[in-house]
Amino acid sequence: MAQVKQNPVTAESRSLNPITIEVIGSAFASIVEEMGETLVRSSYSTNIKERRDCSTALFDASGHTLCQAEHVPMHLGSFIGFVPLILKKHGLVGLRPGDVFIGNDAYEGGGTHLPDIVLAEPIFHGGRLTAWAINTAHHSDFVDRGHAHIYQEGLRMPPVRLYRAGDLQEDIQDLFLLNCQVPRERLSDLRAQMAANRLGVRRMIDLCDKYGADTVEAAGQELQDYAERRMRAGIRTIPDGIYTFSDRFDCEVFEALWDFSVRIIVRGDEMELRFDSPPQSRSPMNVVRTALLATVYYAVKSIVDPSMPPNAGLARPITVIAEEGSVLNCVHPAAVDGRLTSCQRVVDLIHGALAPVLPERVTAAGNGSCFDITFSGQRPDGSLWVYLETIGGGNGARFDKDGLDGVHVHMTNTSNLPVEALEVEYPITLLAYELIDSSGGAGEFRGGMGIRRVYRAEQACRVHYGGSRMRSQPWGLDGGLPGASGGFRFSDGVTPFLKGVGTVNAGDIIEVFTPGGGGYGDPTRRPPNVVQQDLREGSFTLADATVFQSKEV
Amino acid sequence: MGWRVGVDSGGTFTDICLFEEETGRVEIWKVPSTPHDPSVAISTGVAEALDRLGATPEAVAYFGHGTTVATNALIQGRGVSTGLIATRGFRDLLEIGRQKRPHLYDIHAEKPKTLVSRELRIGVAERVRNDGSVEQPLDEDALRTAAKELKAAGVKSVAITFLYSFAHTAHEEAALRILSEEFPEAFVSASHRIAPEFREFERMSTTVVNAYLGPVMKGYLHNLENSLKEMGLDAVPHLTQSNGGVIGFDTAAEMPVRTVLSGPSTGVVAALALSEMTGGQDLITFDMGGTSTDVALLKGGECRMVGEAVVHGYPIKAPMLDIHTVGAGGGSLVHVDSGGLIKVGPRSAGAFPGPACYGHGTTEPTVTDANVFLQNLDPRYLLRGRMPVHRDLAEAALKTIADQVGMSVAEAADGILDIVAANMTKAIRVISVQRGHDPRDYTLVAFGGAGPLHAARLAAELEMRRILVPLTPGILCAMGLLMTDLRTDFASTRLASLDTLDPSWLEEVFANLERRADAWFASENIPLDARMTRRTVDVRYAGQNYEISVAVPGGTTDRSTFEAIRREFLAGHDQLYGFTSDGEEIELVTYRLEARAGIRKARFKPRPMGASDPAGALIGERLVWCRQAGSFRTHKIYDRLLLVPGNIVEGPAIIDQMDTTTVVPAGMEAHVDVYLNLVMEAY
Repeated sequence: MAQVKQNPVTAESRSLNPITIEVIGSAFASIVEEMGETLVRSSYSTNIKERRDCSTALFDASGHTLCQAEHVPMHLGSFIGFVPLILKKHGLVGLRPGDVFIGNDAYEGGGTHLPDIVLAEPIFHGGRLTAWAINTAHHSDFVDRGHAHIYQEGLRMPPVRLYRAGDLQEDIQDLFLLNCQVPRERLSDLRAQMAANRLGVRRMIDLCDKYGADTVEAAGQELQDYAERRMRAGIRTIPDGIYTFSDRFDCEVFEALWDFSVRIIVRGDEMELRFDSPPQSRSPMNVVRTALLATVYYAVKSIVDPSMPPNAGLARPITVIAEEGSVLNCVHPAAVDGRLTSCQRVVDLIHGALAPVLPERVTAAGNGSCFDITFSGQRPDGSLWVYLETIGGGNGARFDKDGLDGVHVHMTNTSNLPVEALEVEYPITLLAYELIDSSGGAGEFRGGMGIRRVYRAEQACRVHYGGSRMRSQPWGLDGGLPGASGGFRFSDGVTPFLKGVGTVNAGDIIEVFTPGGGGYGDPTRRPPNVVQQDLREGSFTLADATVFQSKEV
Repeated sequence: MGWRVGVDSGGTFTDICLFEEETGRVEIWKVPSTPHDPSVAISTGVAEALDRLGATPEAVAYFGHGTTVATNALIQGRGVSTGLIATRGFRDLLEIGRQKRPHLYDIHAEKPKTLVSRELRIGVAERVRNDGSVEQPLDEDALRTAAKELKAAGVKSVAITFLYSFAHTAHEEAALRILSEEFPEAFVSASHRIAPEFREFERMSTTVVNAYLGPVMKGYLHNLENSLKEMGLDAVPHLTQSNGGVIGFDTAAEMPVRTVLSGPSTGVVAALALSEMTGGQDLITFDMGGTSTDVALLKGGECRMVGEAVVHGYPIKAPMLDIHTVGAGGGSLVHVDSGGLIKVGPRSAGAFPGPACYGHGTTEPTVTDANVFLQNLDPRYLLRGRMPVHRDLAEAALKTIADQVGMSVAEAADGILDIVAANMTKAIRVISVQRGHDPRDYTLVAFGGAGPLHAARLAAELEMRRILVPLTPGILCAMGLLMTDLRTDFASTRLASLDTLDPSWLEEVFANLERRADAWFASENIPLDARMTRRTVDVRYAGQNYEISVAVPGGTTDRSTFEAIRREFLAGHDQLYGFTSDGEEIELVTYRLEARAGIRKARFKPRPMGASDPAGALIGERLVWCRQAGSFRTHKIYDRLLLVPGNIVEGPAIIDQMDTTTVVPAGMEAHVDVYLNLVMEAY
């Protein structure tokens, strides 16, 4: 090979060599991570402090993701709409350091459902808008409501200033708090969200002081180009072609079964995903476009290259199409509170479609749901209490290993609340929290086991529950059998719930079963010693052992 | 009076440091480790060292030991077959954990292996409520059956975790009694003894890890104690815990979970000794080895303590020094990813085949290859000539990277070292900036084989002005063992509002902890005048879940005590989160008592100062990459062992020694202090 004389390295090109980009990218990651820790550690409500149902991110000046912390993939949906909306509504003129925007609306506020409240603060350096610090937290509020349309689901907020040049706009805050069932928690969580953004702003200003705002901004653009290259490289590993998959969706709110389907076209290093779903409905299961985008980005990234940086560049080679006004791309005034459960099914569709060409990368269907239960009631002093939690289940089996037992899959990844914290704060007693025998689909590799969680109410309270895969089962791959369905069960004497909503009295018991994951590969290929271990452990019972029958059991 | 002996047992070498109390004389001895049974190298090494000094084992007055036995058993899954007895309905909690998956995007990631397989996890009927009252008494018959089942299944160890056992110990105590009747040969751990704090999963995980490691640690300490006795050593041996203090072997054998970070904490303890030696500087430690790097922050002669950490995937609640570990070191492999950026790690070349320059066939470059190519390391030999390296192989490996990103090999190698510095910066920010400390106020202490090689770049990245390189890193750990207090921690959890608290209630909580501490002091034979205790309480706003540790003033507990707690909490909250919530209720959560027995510590004697000219240590010159100049420049090479106090080495220069190499870049100079530490500063 001929010697190529290198161009002399000028100060300009040096500032943006691959090393600088890597170093600044690593700084972005550590800033969003630190913002997340601050938010969790200084918050009050169990949903944030223990369950970590919140996310933090940095955006560039024009509203593209620079970096998102690894919390809850769904929250990207709340971010990608927010800054562009601020810019559209308020413009750059008049934007000042210390302005903080609050918002949540799914149609005018960049959100994906109303309890996810977003706070965004512009970051100025040298008098110029350089980036945004942004975070969202799921406030356990706006509960025990209807879901025929979004007006029933809580207070809708477009992006408005909660702080103006550092001054709290108390009238805005008062308006918000009056609409909340647990205002004390809301106020404290807002403070934690503020603290997280303040920290992000400080750290970004330090970074700009060190490298110069121009370099930081340029690196931000380079990092997006870089993520784009990673995504293109990942897509290029998929053979060109058209891949389709369809699945049935069920939930507690209606009797109907919905058909969801996807058609994926892979051409070179680009990918188009076209989703078909029924017309939007008077139910909380509708999904706004930003939520669908966040779902697709998560699914494709996790399948083709999980280590690419989570910024806006990865979206460039991906086109997402879904008919406006359908469940998977709903428009005003559709209700959206339960959108996560629908989105979980979208991830399954993408795995299912790509399974024939990427068998070693996809998984069989996971629990395909996000089982949630919300309790609310009144304390003796008249104040209200709200407790919300979501329960993991089985993950789908993989090409060469069993699925994970009892975890949150795909679009969510929140923690449980320790029993010893839950019972101190709320009038609820936990009677069991365990894996369900035989709930993982059998296969050469078995699906993950679902979870059984049993509550006893200690005082009368309102309860809402939700989930999917109660009337269908998470599918297996390559001969693997489906995982078990999920469900809810009540002790005798509880008045039947309507659309997942009802009242329980002191002493009533609610039992939740979450679905298991699908199996992968023909069960008869599971080695006999592993089957013996399954039987010992109870992950399968003897009654199930017939599926392994070509082996000695 | 006699010799005090510190032994740091690592994977490769066992370092022994001996200190004569009367004369202040310090002697060092190093022997190869015996990984199959580390006690062999320890006892023979100590015997050899004493023999060389003409001392007898009877003359040893103190024996301190740091070990990685518990950690290694945990990493390598070499604990014993363990059973778990839990509240009925909650036996799978061990596996469910916090129900999060191990990696957000990587759907192929695995959870850490559950230490008790499902058939050995048994639920037993019993239920305590959150106020400590009993809703359902323990089913003793069921427990007896469970004990028999576990015995029949052949487990060696049993963990017991019932809900709220920290508030009501009777059920776990009954279980201990029944197990001792039915299964007396088992090692048994009960959660109210191992980690009496709320959050059941973390308490269960800690108790299970303890049970899993118990027999391993017990066996190891038993062997070691016997061999020490056989050689005639009468001193009571002590072991470093994860909190940096030492405990007796009996306590360590009961609570091995408290020693899982014994190894890294010994390094931090050593740095504390160094801080004391050099006039009480505030330090950030940077211990970079082949595959991992530990960093910690020491302020006012102390390292922050944390109550919980995740060790190799297992949550452990125990007092631990706040040490942050990154899985990157000199052996980390470098690659260009599909987006065209250079990445360092997380994979490592390991000891064999090792970096490309070792010539064992690796063609992927490592961080060490970058250092060999840039000639920060001797391009011919490592370990002072004991190990040949091949710069051409390093260059060929690096060229594959350089070509992909369109840089020269030197630029790419230089960039690799910048990326390493950026990764390390991230780790140091976690323990400094994220905890409200400005690294610019600290001195960077570099040790480990690769620490002094990268320290100057790291310090520049963090704008730290001072770097301290101790004489020999491994030996420093052994020395640290001679300067450690005997200490342990006691804790109890009970929620209370600071506004409505009765001073006598708080006094009673601490009095209970004091009684437990007294029993421990007595068991360790600590004289009354050497006993010290310190009270702290974990405080939060009612409703928060993360607490801030606040000192509780000694003396009488009264309203002024509460005011002091309030003041310190508000200041801490403001420092960490940048706000306080006026008028919100402040809640006390966990009460802690640190019990410490002052030991007579080794004091090191300063050496006389010599001339500033280091010419006596000059052993040669070579071309070394100069980052500032962007080219190779002639550097003087000095022998660390020939440098004497007072010498000043001006950068750019390289200071070489058997176990590490120090880069003194242009613009910095290194002074040799009276304890033979290198102190690097900009001039």
